[in-house]
Amino acid sequence: MLALQTRGLGKTFRVKRKEAGLSGSFRSFWKPNWETKEAVRGIDLTVREGETVAFLGPNGAGKSTTIKMLTGILHPSFGEAEVLGLTPWKERERLAYRIGAVFGQKSQLWYHLPPIDTFELISRIYELQRDEYVRRKDELIERFELGPYLHTPVRKLSLGERMRCEIAASFLHGPRLLFMDEPTIGLDAVVKQRIRELIRERNRVEGTTVFLTSHDAGDVETLCSRAVVIHHGGVLVDEPVERMKREVLSRKIVTLKLTEGADPAALPLIAGTRWETEEEGCRLAVDLKRTTIERVLSELIGRVGFTDVNVEDPPLEEIIKHIYGMKGEAD
Amino acid sequence: MDGESKRWTAAGRKAAAVGRIAFRHQLAYKTDFAMRGFFLLFILFVFIQLWSAAYEGDFSKSISGFTLKQIVWYLVFTEALTLAAPPLCYRIEEEVKNGDVAIRLIRPQSYAGYHFSVFASEALTRFIVHLAIGSAIAWPFVGPPAFGYGWLGLLALSAGALTVTFLLLMLVGLCAFWVEETSGLYFVLQKLQFTIGGMLLPIDLMPEWLQRVCAWLPFQAALYFPARMGVHFDAALLAKQLAIQIGWIVLLALAVSRMYRRGVSKLHVNGG
Repeated sequence: MLALQTRGLGKTFRVKRKEAGLSGSFRSFWKPNWETKEAVRGIDLTVREGETVAFLGPNGAGKSTTIKMLTGILHPSFGEAEVLGLTPWKERERLAYRIGAVFGQKSQLWYHLPPIDTFELISRIYELQRDEYVRRKDELIERFELGPYLHTPVRKLSLGERMRCEIAASFLHGPRLLFMDEPTIGLDAVVKQRIRELIRERNRVEGTTVFLTSHDAGDVETLCSRAVVIHHGGVLVDEPVERMKREVLSRKIVTLKLTEGADPAALPLIAGTRWETEEEGCRLAVDLKRTTIERVLSELIGRVGFTDVNVEDPPLEEIIKHIYGMKGEAD
Repeated sequence: MDGESKRWTAAGRKAAAVGRIAFRHQLAYKTDFAMRGFFLLFILFVFIQLWSAAYEGDFSKSISGFTLKQIVWYLVFTEALTLAAPPLCYRIEEEVKNGDVAIRLIRPQSYAGYHFSVFASEALTRFIVHLAIGSAIAWPFVGPPAFGYGWLGLLALSAGALTVTFLLLMLVGLCAFWVEETSGLYFVLQKLQFTIGGMLLPIDLMPEWLQRVCAWLPFQAALYFPARMGVHFDAALLAKQLAIQIGWIVLLALAVSRMYRRGVSKLHVNGG
């Protein structure tokens, strides 16, 4: 069964163009110059129930606007969409019972009150049966390990603790489809990983469809089975994450903090890697098709003096740029 | 229970739940409460001095049917109602500017209904607190508010008055869906409430032509009706004023509903 389907879904905005300076402000006041900006250009997309889809693109590509149209917050300028059999912007309230949304930079928790109060409110807003609410709340508290700070005012929670509460709150009414707009933004690596595991678990246990936007390649790799890349408001790539991994996620970045006095010029050459020296440390780009992280680290130990090491994915922007490059060559 | 009554019952339960949490949330703003209380004391003290001078300290003198005691208590009631209203226009404007409106719109609840619950919860609490603070200064200066059934009249019309205020603020706040900046409109609305709404001066004391204009505007239903009924109880007039309030509430609610429907289709939610 389909979780969502769009046909030529698009959104345009009218933006006021203003010239610089005081005279520009006066001219704009008397004779405003409007320009139409195309935020989303006719997206065709189909997502089946239970899928975990990464919706990717650079800033301004139209990811958040698409999510807001699919949740019924924004009305599209053209095109059609069906989410769980409903037209989002026409049947917003009915759809709201079946979907959930997490906006990484916005909070649904009441700032001065403990998270448990927001949970209670959500149970009323979504008209949950009392026993069902208690059962789901207890399960989520246990799985998300919220017990220690469930009764602490939200303003006193760390970002990681707050985000766990936000995501648990979004699962409380048992949504069939969860939209997540950068759910791990600003979190440290350990918390990110824990949140990814928890979302993955909900998808596995409850079959919740996950539709996610992120600038973090780790989110895509760990959470999603399919990646859709958009550019200039249209779909550029739509393929399984496994394939994307083989083609473009086959690189890791190893960052070393060298010991004092170590000469960056004397760094060893290792097969399948490339050095990118930076001011604070040295970055080693590792091609996983040709070598492994284990082999690279074992070659480094003993040959280079370093005080810290960090292994991470390349920034998603870099990956997307790479995809654009590949598509450009193919076209 | 048919579908429609089930829907209304559910909406009522949701509104009550939002009202309860909003009540608890506002208790965190103790400094805000204290500042507002201090300002109310100060402004009422100034008004008492001004009106005492106008009446030459004569408690038996009557101007357009108001004694000094009645005018001071009238001002306590209008100030308590005016300062009770939370900054709704600013909140909606901020929600649109920073994109938090998205959080409201993903819930299975009416947008205006949510704001009404928060407004009602906060406004009722503040109104009661302000009445107590206002009484603390008016009582020693002009004596107790012994106006027969006046308190009953005040309370009966205050619920409608706050609802009219909410709807007027909502109309201005919803303009943020188009223009994002509503402070100018709010400034005009506030000044209209202060003047032709009867906050600073009972409408009875205004020129007759202005009284006729005021009779066709909603502002008097938000301040003048409850405050005047508080100091001049009149059972027949109470029924008439309640009917006028209901009329304005229906009219303004229709305008809010229409404006929301049009505005939400134009909405541009800022931020990622």
